[in-house]
Amino acid sequence: MPLRRHTRPMVVFLLLALTAPALAQVKLPEQPRHYVEDLANVINANHERTLNGVLQELEQKTGVQYIILTLETTGGVPIAAFSVELAHDKWGLGQKGKDNGMLFVLATKDRKYAFTPGRGLEGFLTDNYAGRVGREVLRPALKRNQYSEGIAQANLVVVQKIAGQTGVTLTGMPTLPRGSQPAQRSRRLPGCSSLVFLLMIVLFMGGMRGGRRRGMGGWLFWPMLFGGFGGRGGYGRSGSYGGGMFGGSSGGFGGSFGGFGGGGGGGFSGGGASGGW
Amino acid sequence: MKAKRGVGALFAIFAVAAIAVVLFAVIGFMWYVSGYNKAVRFDEAVTKAWADVDAQLQRRLDLIPNLVETVKGYATQEKELFENIAKSREKYFQAGNTAGKMEASNQLGGFLSRLLVLQERYPDLKSNQNFLALQDQLEGTENRISVARTRYNDAVRLLNTYARGLFGPFFCNKADVEKREPFEATEQAQTQVPAVDFSKPQPLPEPATP
Repeated sequence: MPLRRHTRPMVVFLLLALTAPALAQVKLPEQPRHYVEDLANVINANHERTLNGVLQELEQKTGVQYIILTLETTGGVPIAAFSVELAHDKWGLGQKGKDNGMLFVLATKDRKYAFTPGRGLEGFLTDNYAGRVGREVLRPALKRNQYSEGIAQANLVVVQKIAGQTGVTLTGMPTLPRGSQPAQRSRRLPGCSSLVFLLMIVLFMGGMRGGRRRGMGGWLFWPMLFGGFGGRGGYGRSGSYGGGMFGGSSGGFGGSFGGFGGGGGGGFSGGGASGGW
Repeated sequence: MKAKRGVGALFAIFAVAAIAVVLFAVIGFMWYVSGYNKAVRFDEAVTKAWADVDAQLQRRLDLIPNLVETVKGYATQEKELFENIAKSREKYFQAGNTAGKMEASNQLGGFLSRLLVLQERYPDLKSNQNFLALQDQLEGTENRISVARTRYNDAVRLLNTYARGLFGPFFCNKADVEKREPFEATEQAQTQVPAVDFSKPQPLPEPATP
């Protein structure tokens, strides 16, 4: 086996391996529970209810998953990078293939915000558009310390833009879910192929019991076992994003809306705009 | 009778051995195919990820002439910066390989971030809608570049891990797949910006150091 040649140390590789994911330092829910995740507690109850209603309606009518997150700090990570990683890798906002997620993040202590549309929305939520909403609607309000108003107004402007572009009218009253029926999303079973292999091996080994080749056979199979797991395809950007199955709509108590069903998409390229105040 | 039984047993042993050999061959073949394909898949993922990076870098290059043109009207004293931007842009176009492109891009990124903070020195720029629009686009593009770069590096890491692991080198060799270089970011572009003093001529930054 030509192993030796390739075992030269790779400093660069090791350095890369050491870089921890940016989100590790901030405590966040595995999936957003509501469309408005006001972790920093700056949005008042009225605005929160309005936004939750509108955003739920938006998803029902257009499929766009629009999440508003406030938190104190991104832990030193640039907010644009934080936002993309959260939306793309952790929450997987938007529908798969449509890339129609949208995340708004505001970090109160860092005094930074970011509008991050998925690739499917970039056509009309351009960087310049997001930048202007930030500068002209959001920032003035933030400077007056009216966080709640600013966040509500700016995001409603963006929501209206999405609604206008997709040709729907929003009333602010979403259809309430009938029962609590968690959105079942098909998710590929990652270990499927390896399970079949495992079965084969077990059967085969059973047949060989007492045979002389047992040890060698087992050794030969090892790489296959690992090969099987490769089917998950975690490379590139089409990885399998969790969520969906366990998101569950928070139906529970009737009348309340804004329970987020869970993301399963992703497809954020880093577009949008960020700024500070 | 006895002889017949002996022949039967011999035949059974032979049959079992034959089946075992065939099974080993089939499984060995499948293992080979899966290992080979994995090398190819990792390699393709890296190529695709680089295409994304390249597209975003290209987009940035397309934005530059407009942006520089807009800023020039206000910041007449920054000739050197404009020249440097033009130079590193040229350098990118002339770069034949990925490594050259990476280097030129890192350099360009540094100059561009300086271009963007010019608005601190020339407040009139801030009220120029054209500048603000270009600035939004440039910032968005910078973000896309860094996202694409992260994903490219992830793909490279997967490939390189495979190429170092058990049997990986063997398959990479067979599939003619080689290890790739990650695209290292020069963080200074982000962290150094506010410290730049525009009253002094800026030296060309050193090529990217890891």
